Amino acid sequence: MLEIQNLTKIYPDGTVALRQVSFTVEPGEFLVIIGLSGSGKSTLLRCINRLIDPTEGTIRWDGTDVTAAESAELRRIRRQIGMIFQQFNLVRRSSVLSNVLAGRLGYVRPLPSLVHSFPAADRELAWKALQRVGLTEQAAKQARELSGGQQQRVGIARALMQQPRMILADEPVASLDPVLAHSILGYLEELNRLDGITVLCSLHYLDLVQRYATRVIGLREGRLVYRGTKEDIRRMTDAQFKEIYGEEAVRTSAGLQGRS
Amino acid sequence: MAGRNKRNKQEAGRREPPPPLVRPAAAAVASLLVPGLGQILDRLVQRGLLLLGSVVTILAMLGWRISVLAHREPTAWAMLAKALARRPFFIGLILACLVGLWVWIVADAARLARPVRDSRGRPRRGGFGIFVLVLFTFFALGWQVSQVDPVRMVTEFPKALTPLGRVVWPWQAAVVRETVDRQASAEVQTPCTDNPPPPAVEKPGQPFLLADPTCGELSALDTAGTLLPGSTLTLTGRGFAPDSEVKLYWVDPLGNEFQLRQEGRYLSVQADGRGAFQTKVIMPYRLFPGNPGESSLHQVVARQIASLGRLRASEPLLLTIERMVETIFMGMMATLFGILFAIPVSFLAARNLMSGSWLTMGIYYAVRTIMNIIRAIEPLIWALIAVVWVGLGPFAGIIALTVHSVASLGKLYSEAIEGIDAGPIEAVEATGATRLQTIMYAVVPQMIAPFVSFSIYRWDINVRMSTIIGLVGGGGIGFLLVQYIRLLDYRAAGIAVWFIAVTVAVLDYVSAEIRAKFV
Repeated sequence: MLEIQNLTKIYPDGTVALRQVSFTVEPGEFLVIIGLSGSGKSTLLRCINRLIDPTEGTIRWDGTDVTAAESAELRRIRRQIGMIFQQFNLVRRSSVLSNVLAGRLGYVRPLPSLVHSFPAADRELAWKALQRVGLTEQAAKQARELSGGQQQRVGIARALMQQPRMILADEPVASLDPVLAHSILGYLEELNRLDGITVLCSLHYLDLVQRYATRVIGLREGRLVYRGTKEDIRRMTDAQFKEIYGEEAVRTSAGLQGRS
Repeated sequence: MAGRNKRNKQEAGRREPPPPLVRPAAAAVASLLVPGLGQILDRLVQRGLLLLGSVVTILAMLGWRISVLAHREPTAWAMLAKALARRPFFIGLILACLVGLWVWIVADAARLARPVRDSRGRPRRGGFGIFVLVLFTFFALGWQVSQVDPVRMVTEFPKALTPLGRVVWPWQAAVVRETVDRQASAEVQTPCTDNPPPPAVEKPGQPFLLADPTCGELSALDTAGTLLPGSTLTLTGRGFAPDSEVKLYWVDPLGNEFQLRQEGRYLSVQADGRGAFQTKVIMPYRLFPGNPGESSLHQVVARQIASLGRLRASEPLLLTIERMVETIFMGMMATLFGILFAIPVSFLAARNLMSGSWLTMGIYYAVRTIMNIIRAIEPLIWALIAVVWVGLGPFAGIIALTVHSVASLGKLYSEAIEGIDAGPIEAVEATGATRLQTIMYAVVPQMIAPFVSFSIYRWDINVRMSTIIGLVGGGGIGFLLVQYIRLLDYRAAGIAVWFIAVTVAVLDYVSAEIRAKFV
């Protein structure tokens, strides 16, 4: 479904964010990317839908070369890939409904959408998406009036509006407390299992990785340093852990089952 | 522990200042010759230069004040003596400060040349007092140069009472009564003939004047030049406004009217509580020759001009309201034009939009610089230019306020654009939206609130400014106010001041409320 080969990103200031990263994503996976802050997780996710242009390497989406896609084709690819963010990235002063409808922008005719006019079917879809994340009562509120967990659910509803085949989730729970984290990841798991949407998610906490991932890759200083299955993660050793999180990492026992 | 060691090391680093270049005595002599030089030699260059600058400035200021006080004296000493004689306290004080400062600087240089350490082992700079003395001297100079005179303020205060009272409570001038003209006349024949005119007939409800008798002789001069008084008439009036003044006039056959005088004073009588009066007048001196032997008819007129009609708004009140409305609209129009021009300008002045290339950065800096210059020039000065440009009136004021608004709103808007959160933009882009859709869904909603808030704030400022922009001919209520002040019509000026104050206060409140809703 998604094939990444030798992906390298060097920022204009010389920072090398990704070095020769290659991996593939199979349909229906819940693939989690782990790694320290600054290890290149966000850059990797943003290269996939070209929010960031990679310096080298190829990304293939269903056989189409994303890196070579021109604007119209790129937009067609983007609309199939939903994205949710650590900071939710909602328009805080727009209504919840308007934020959700924005997820449909890649499908609707551009001109009417500029004056917030959407087809009735899309409004219906937005309502269903809000129903799914349990926020129909908040539809008319401004996004900033919602709590963090609610905002992230709006983010999920916005991604749902794209009727995506894959969702990219950039640290979706890093700004939330553990209880909310499980709630949000629960929604993603449901989409993954019930709707068959492939999820590509970066996470910080190992216990969450163990709970939700079907496969894991680890990044360190832009290099892909770890590939493992759900079982591998459960049995992760200190050596592997330090390989990903560096020598200074202190392993907390929380939620970890594998010990050396 | 580690942090503590680090801090100690830093303190140790600070503890070793470079040693002074000279001994204390040498530093003292150096500072005696050139104040501050000793401190510079002690390696305290900033302190030395600051002290040198202070002494030089004080000397220059003192020289200037002396030359103002005694510019005719031939020699410097004579000037100083004269200045001291004219302003002993002030010149003496500054001289004392200067000498004290100099001595202090010398002592300071000597003290700093041998570093004294305090109980914690740090070198003691101290000398806070020396800068207090410098400041004190400057404020003493400032007091004199700006002609502060509190004694005069107190003794002359009564002069301010009248205008102040009128400005503070001007409302007597806000309404006037319509004047009512009441008059009645009686015919008087001179000289008397066999059939004198009949007495006037009284009509109920109308003023009525009866002359008794209805004929007589005018005053005249005899051949020796002595005044022969004319006949005395008894005048009875009824039906006038009660308790108010009635003036008496004489009308000769040609229609010339003049107020009657008796012994050099104008005649006037007071109507009683029922509007009636009775008085005696001597017939006046003949002004027109008349034909000898023929008799002619004169008239005596009793007239009352009383402010007894309906209350109505006075001219200043009406004009003030009219101008106030004009002023508010001036502020609105200037804000509208300001917003229209500021929006495109703000995009050119937003760093995040213009950082693309060398050329756009050049435009960014050019626009920013021009806006800063425009903002630095007060609207009053722009109004002076606009008055020359389009003539006196509100349009000139609108131009002045618009120019200033564009610069100031442009800056505020561009900062709002710079403060935009990139997150939503990225999120909307990721949905496959076009560039235009991204702007409409992610950029515009973020900008509306600050734009509205800044625009209302500017409207508030513009209305406030337009109240004074009239001072230089830019229309609005300021134009009226300055006219009233020049005419010394403090009551009318007071009405204008009240309207300005109330309008500004209301606007302040309203704009704050609206902005609070948006932020």
